[in-house]
Amino acid sequence: MTTAAGRTRNASLLAGAVLVGLVVLIALVSFLWTPHDPLLVDASSRLLGPTGEHLLGTDKFGRDVFSQIMVGGRTTLYVGIVAVGLAALVGTPLGIMAGMSRGWLGEFVMRASDLVLAFPALLLAIMFGAVFGASTLTAMIAIGIATVPSFARMARSGTLQVMSSEYILAARTAGRSGWFIARRHVWPNISPLIIVQSSVSFAIAVLAEAALSFLGFGTRPPTPSWGRMLQESQELLAVEPRLVLVPGIAIALAVLGFNLLGDGLRDRFDPRLEVRR
Amino acid sequence: MRARVRPVAALLALLMVLVGCSAGSTATVSGDEDTLAVGFTAEPENFDFTTSDGTAIPQALLYNVYENLVKVGPDGELEPLLAKSWSISADRTVYDFRLQPDARFSNGARFTAADVKFSIERVPTEWAISLKSKMDVVDRVEVIAPDHARVVLKQPSNAWLFDMASRVGAMFSRTGVSDLANNPIGTGPYTVAERRRGDSIVLRANPDYWGTQPGYRTVVLKYIADPTSLNNALLSNEIDVIAQIAAPDSVPQFEADERFRVIQGTTNGEVVLAYNNARPPLDDARVRRALTMAVDRQALLETAWAGRGELIGSMVPPTDPWYEDLSTAYPHDPSKARELLARAGVRDLSLRLRIANLPYATAAAQVVASDLAQIGVQVTIDPLDFPAVWLDEVFTKHDYDMSIVQHVEPYDIVTFGDPDFYWGYDSPRVQRLLAQADSGSLQARNDKMREAARVLAEDAAANWLFLFPNVIAAKSEVTGLVPNQVSESFDLTGIRAAR
Repeated sequence: MTTAAGRTRNASLLAGAVLVGLVVLIALVSFLWTPHDPLLVDASSRLLGPTGEHLLGTDKFGRDVFSQIMVGGRTTLYVGIVAVGLAALVGTPLGIMAGMSRGWLGEFVMRASDLVLAFPALLLAIMFGAVFGASTLTAMIAIGIATVPSFARMARSGTLQVMSSEYILAARTAGRSGWFIARRHVWPNISPLIIVQSSVSFAIAVLAEAALSFLGFGTRPPTPSWGRMLQESQELLAVEPRLVLVPGIAIALAVLGFNLLGDGLRDRFDPRLEVRR
Repeated sequence: MRARVRPVAALLALLMVLVGCSAGSTATVSGDEDTLAVGFTAEPENFDFTTSDGTAIPQALLYNVYENLVKVGPDGELEPLLAKSWSISADRTVYDFRLQPDARFSNGARFTAADVKFSIERVPTEWAISLKSKMDVVDRVEVIAPDHARVVLKQPSNAWLFDMASRVGAMFSRTGVSDLANNPIGTGPYTVAERRRGDSIVLRANPDYWGTQPGYRTVVLKYIADPTSLNNALLSNEIDVIAQIAAPDSVPQFEADERFRVIQGTTNGEVVLAYNNARPPLDDARVRRALTMAVDRQALLETAWAGRGELIGSMVPPTDPWYEDLSTAYPHDPSKARELLARAGVRDLSLRLRIANLPYATAAAQVVASDLAQIGVQVTIDPLDFPAVWLDEVFTKHDYDMSIVQHVEPYDIVTFGDPDFYWGYDSPRVQRLLAQADSGSLQARNDKMREAARVLAEDAAANWLFLFPNVIAAKSEVTGLVPNQVSESFDLTGIRAAR
């Protein structure tokens, strides 16, 4: 391990943590305080440029863009947490199970996850929106379901690796139950993988929520969402590009943050990289 | 790790494409002096408006390919077309039409009174769309002479002649209705030369047209669903005219550019905040008045639709002959609205606003929600997929408190005379006024209609948010565009090139 490589790893972890921290911070602060009411329509302050009063200007409804970004960050995190949480809670046990039982059960779980993986996530979410009505909740659940396979696969490959080690053989010889082995040996070994996967999936979930809201299948108006801010300002692209740039940059930074954080965490935790060191 | 980043990159790319970087297809149709390309958002699924619903087919074909006995002029009044003149009997049930003697269908057949009889009698038997009921009032059609047709109505109806200018009054050839979906045959100045599904329709001038030849020999109707892409098509010289701009905030880019001209007129499209008049507490006129007063419609128009459009106060556009300005019936007054709600005994009101998921409705709904929050009424916005889900939930099942949708049909004030319509509005007085208006003389009609409109406004039967504008953007050399979209047709016949 060279020091230069180590510094790069720390840098991506640090940059990721800072960006994610920033999103979390503005989202948390928005619960207590925003510069303006993000939902208040005011025709007299329509399409104002950035000023001291409105840090990022106002949109076509005269709403403060900065306040909208703050509250929109809340939507973003909310979707990410629920979708990724759902995927991890369902996918990880399935993956461990598939990894530990080599029989038809494991095969079945993996083929089922291939099936879900083959279905485009956005299409699934749009279908959910059409059937159950478009809302943040259906978007979260659909994104969550679509993300289950990546957790199942990650957990399974980690489990297979652990199961081939000698201490598992020893535990088995000692007559330990499958449940005990999963809890005591498998889970502690694969949990770093799951944390890394969570961070990467979070980035995908953020982007998917933005895309869905853009298409009108995600967060309902007037709840601020970065994707819907993009959509509402789309026609102003030629007239007031700021309104497209601001939520666009917010989405890009959040996605970049979660990706960098995931990369950084992987470099720290991944046991497969450990071997190479 | 590369494999894991790829879905992110793909989504990001998708999002960028969606934001409107797409410039449309590459095929350029302009450039030819004799060719005009007009851009629309909605494409017709076929050419047969006798069996397929929707506005896109008559928009392309009516007055251009098919002609009627009469047509709706630019300001909403009836003008002669295939009928040179007409007279109405004293009891208002017998209409005598004198026909253009030289008119011919594009299949070569001569247009005569027998075709009038054929076309009108075909409506109740062969047509499949619900609009066909507009011809139910016809008792019989008589051929007096080849250039003289007589229509006898069961009872007097002022609406009937006006309906004759819409798609149900289109004149078909007795020998030309075998393949309406693909091969429309009419007497109009254009014929359909080519159809590129999903892209465009090419119209060619009919050299044997009986009237004045149109200004352009070829007209390409180009269909681009996304408003931003449609704008880009005009900017990039792919089309010459945008028939109706669906993104009002983008209009200044054309106004600022001397290559283009922006024409703004009116439509028949009332954007209505519907109240479910049958459901408490909205069955109480005081509550409806309070909600109406709470919404600042001037501000709504400015924010939601860039100030383009007109304020109206009832279900009547300014192009209707009985129009009067009722837009100030309930001026914006939140404190009075709060007072009125309190007097009606309504507290902690929470309403579901189930809207069509269309840009104007989504924008207007957010202003309505914000305004009603100011008087303590909580509004939940529920966008429904339009048309299918909206029609089912709101229009058919009446499962809503408030809704926002645009009503584009001409003279649609009559819907308030139907207690089963989704307004849930049951007023015997309005029903009587509307019935009297249809059967009376023209003057009596205007008086009764005006009175009905006034009652609706006073009752706050709905909140008429604004009248949808018709914003056309065209290259500056294109003249003769009709500013007001009050007929079902996008009338190409008057368009000329200023050279």
